[in-house]
Amino acid sequence: MRLFNRWILTVFVACCALFNVAANSSELNDGLANKLSVENASSVATGPHIQVALISEYQDLNPDQQNWIGILLEPETHWHTYWQNPGDSGEAPQMSWTLPDGVNAGEIKWPLPQKINVAHLVNYGYDGQNLLMLPLNFDNPKQYKNGDTLHVSVDLSWLVCQEDCIPGWATLNKTFDINRNNTPSDSFDLFAKTRKLHPQNKTLSAQYETTDQHIVVSVKPPVQSDWQLFALKSSVIQHNQNQQQLTSESGNTHFTLAKSDYFIDENKPLKFLLSDGTKGYYLTAAFNSVSANNNSPNQLESQTLAALLLLALMAFAGGLILNLMPCVLPVLSIKALSLQQTNLSIGNKLAYLIGVLVSFNLFALVVILLRQGGESIGWGFQMQAPWFVALMAFLFLAIALMLLDQIRFGSSLSGIGQNLVSGHGFSSQFFTGVLAVLVASPCTAPFMAASLGVAMVSPPAQTLLLFNSLALGFALPLTLIFCLPVLAKILPKPGAWMESFRQFLFFPMLATVIWLIWVYLNQTNSAALFILLISLLCFALFCWLVNHSKGMFKALFLLAVIASVILPFYLNYSAEAHTPQAQQQNNQLAYNPQKLAELKANNQLVLVNMTADWCITCKVNEQVAFNSNEVKAILNEPNVHYMVGDWTNKNQQILTFLQQYKRAGVPLYVVYAGDGSEQVLPQLLSPSIVIEAINQAKKELNHEN
Amino acid sequence: MKIKQLISITLLALCSGFVQANIKVDSPAPAFTLNNEKGEQVSLADYKGKYVVLEWTNDQCPYVKKHYQSGNMQNLQQKYTDKEVVWLSVISSAPGKQGYVEADEAIELTQSRNAAPTHVLFDPSGEVGKSYGAKTTPHMYIIDKQGVLRYAGGIDSIKSANPADIEKADNYVDLGLTALMNGKEVKNKLTPPYGCSVKYKS
Repeated sequence: MRLFNRWILTVFVACCALFNVAANSSELNDGLANKLSVENASSVATGPHIQVALISEYQDLNPDQQNWIGILLEPETHWHTYWQNPGDSGEAPQMSWTLPDGVNAGEIKWPLPQKINVAHLVNYGYDGQNLLMLPLNFDNPKQYKNGDTLHVSVDLSWLVCQEDCIPGWATLNKTFDINRNNTPSDSFDLFAKTRKLHPQNKTLSAQYETTDQHIVVSVKPPVQSDWQLFALKSSVIQHNQNQQQLTSESGNTHFTLAKSDYFIDENKPLKFLLSDGTKGYYLTAAFNSVSANNNSPNQLESQTLAALLLLALMAFAGGLILNLMPCVLPVLSIKALSLQQTNLSIGNKLAYLIGVLVSFNLFALVVILLRQGGESIGWGFQMQAPWFVALMAFLFLAIALMLLDQIRFGSSLSGIGQNLVSGHGFSSQFFTGVLAVLVASPCTAPFMAASLGVAMVSPPAQTLLLFNSLALGFALPLTLIFCLPVLAKILPKPGAWMESFRQFLFFPMLATVIWLIWVYLNQTNSAALFILLISLLCFALFCWLVNHSKGMFKALFLLAVIASVILPFYLNYSAEAHTPQAQQQNNQLAYNPQKLAELKANNQLVLVNMTADWCITCKVNEQVAFNSNEVKAILNEPNVHYMVGDWTNKNQQILTFLQQYKRAGVPLYVVYAGDGSEQVLPQLLSPSIVIEAINQAKKELNHEN
Repeated sequence: MKIKQLISITLLALCSGFVQANIKVDSPAPAFTLNNEKGEQVSLADYKGKYVVLEWTNDQCPYVKKHYQSGNMQNLQQKYTDKEVVWLSVISSAPGKQGYVEADEAIELTQSRNAAPTHVLFDPSGEVGKSYGAKTTPHMYIIDKQGVLRYAGGIDSIKSANPADIEKADNYVDLGLTALMNGKEVKNKLTPPYGCSVKYKS
């Protein structure tokens, strides 16, 4: 019975509390009562543990300017009210304004909130006195004369808490005089003081990504400070979890926030307040759509007409610029200079253009066919094949030697070489075009990258259109020179200088050879490089010997030339090709499905890391987990293999791997203990997670053995 | 792979110290065994084959009062316990904190408020509350016949202590149970809960 009495008592006290908040709560539901009470209504109300008031910065309202009014919440000591996101529990004050027509209330300016801990939960709010300011604006200032009055009314609800909470409601009323003399009110200083607690007006932009349990936000704060992020909505982050911060050299700070159980992933922009307790900025974080777009790299996207035309134009411009690339320019300039004096038939004039068009269309056809066969390729895919790079090195060396007059093929072998410099016939012109396209292929000119990227994944018709635009742009300058004698006249007259110029062009050609050798090294290993260099030397030597010998020796040396070209291919296929990353760092391997299968079959421990340069979460993990000394040490152990797949660019093999794990994007971390077991790690790592996973895998391997 | 070097590293805290278990709708609801108002042990596992509603409560909390003084909570309890739904009102208030009651007080409360929960369960240590991530009173959960969590969040769509808002709001528990009983999926599976904080020991 005693307990029952206690309960009755508490209910009674609570009811009194509710009723104490003036008879206002009933007014909320009763418009008539509301109207009647206007006359003697007050701008101040009292509830249990709190007093609320409607106040203004200036005594009167000035229609010519923005007027600041506010709701002053004054709870008792140790009692608090809430920020716009109250945190784990609680409720922000709500206001509903009744204003004359033509007068509008703006948004509430929330001062920087404090974190308030309640057991293991966290609230955001204000301990003690707090002023919620907002502007009043007049649509038509002239409508109001000095001496007029204006009535302002607000239905206010609040929650005031210590640990226990008491809600309250009140309608506050105030009649202002209209006056343009700006006389400060008693609360003037309070407004000035409160302004210092407002976030800055500037809104920062940021990006975010989500993992299963976290939201990673990347933002560049204007200054360094002990920043914390506060989500403007309660259902975004777990308020009671620590925020991890990483600052990159570019000044971007990555915040790792525990995702709320109530967060719904819709890739929509998220709003936060960045605050260090004394200053703050609002920020809008956009979903990192780069990773979203890359989620389906193999999609054959259909472009809108306008976008397609723009891309075609870019391809055309790219083709034009391709003429200036160091690998192409020497070949073409020699051709241009040698031809200006000759009269060509129309067919011969256009032969070069036809050669270029045919080559590019062949290239496009190969792309389309490979794609239909299910392969995913990118521009320069041919450059990914070491044999192609080596062959190009021989070709460029041959051109270089030709420029130094060290190769002069006899009439019996009247091939492209000789005619490149002096021939005028249709076939010579045509093959000049083919050769130009061939030598252009290692060079990706500006503007071309975007349109070629699209061409690689577009439907066949679009691929053809883009490649032809590129071809037209590429062939245009030389074709114009052939067709318009006026243009030819602008070119310098041939003479002795041409010989020197031709010899000078030997150097850019040699530079191209050096570059190709460097590419080759990255694709193979130093042994293969050595063989290639020796072969190139032999190639040059025998070319020179062919040039300086006669009869049977000439034929012999010619065979030697061919042998030097074949040599590196013959030797290389017997040696195991190395992956470029293998040389880069410790025992880090580039992702390769065959290699992975092999390691698994050999009962090896493999950690696969799928990453990309544009992935913020991946960068955070690399910094926090993979760069720590403990993890580096364990990855360096002899039977631990660290395999990295870089998805910065489209890659079919990596996509297939991700799809095996039902992922559409990176990061993805998997630890394999041989063929026995696999463990998918969380998307956000700490050194201990990685080490534990590897130790776990080790145990399993030992157990099996 | 390019490694962009990060110069300054400010590690405020590693992702360790996750006291709170993440709850997930559409995955199995955490198991528990708690004492009821009659001193009997009640386990979630006892109710395989029935729908279970968990209601975190604290009779002193104004947001709980909003739904009890208006009769809203009792109506829901009556409506669904009549349909064989198991309704468990859970109190995670620690001794000495608001909303903590002894068994006989709980019985009194049920009678005086005309409430109709299947059981009132006591969780003074707060362990079960934390395993469900219960933050507020009220905080509602719906578990289906297979023991899978199908709804977690607020009781309705208007976050206020004003009883006048009940009529205007969408009652998520009502909507959720109706959908499940008609073999449909719950439309809003997760809504942010609102109310007083659960008065945990720590």
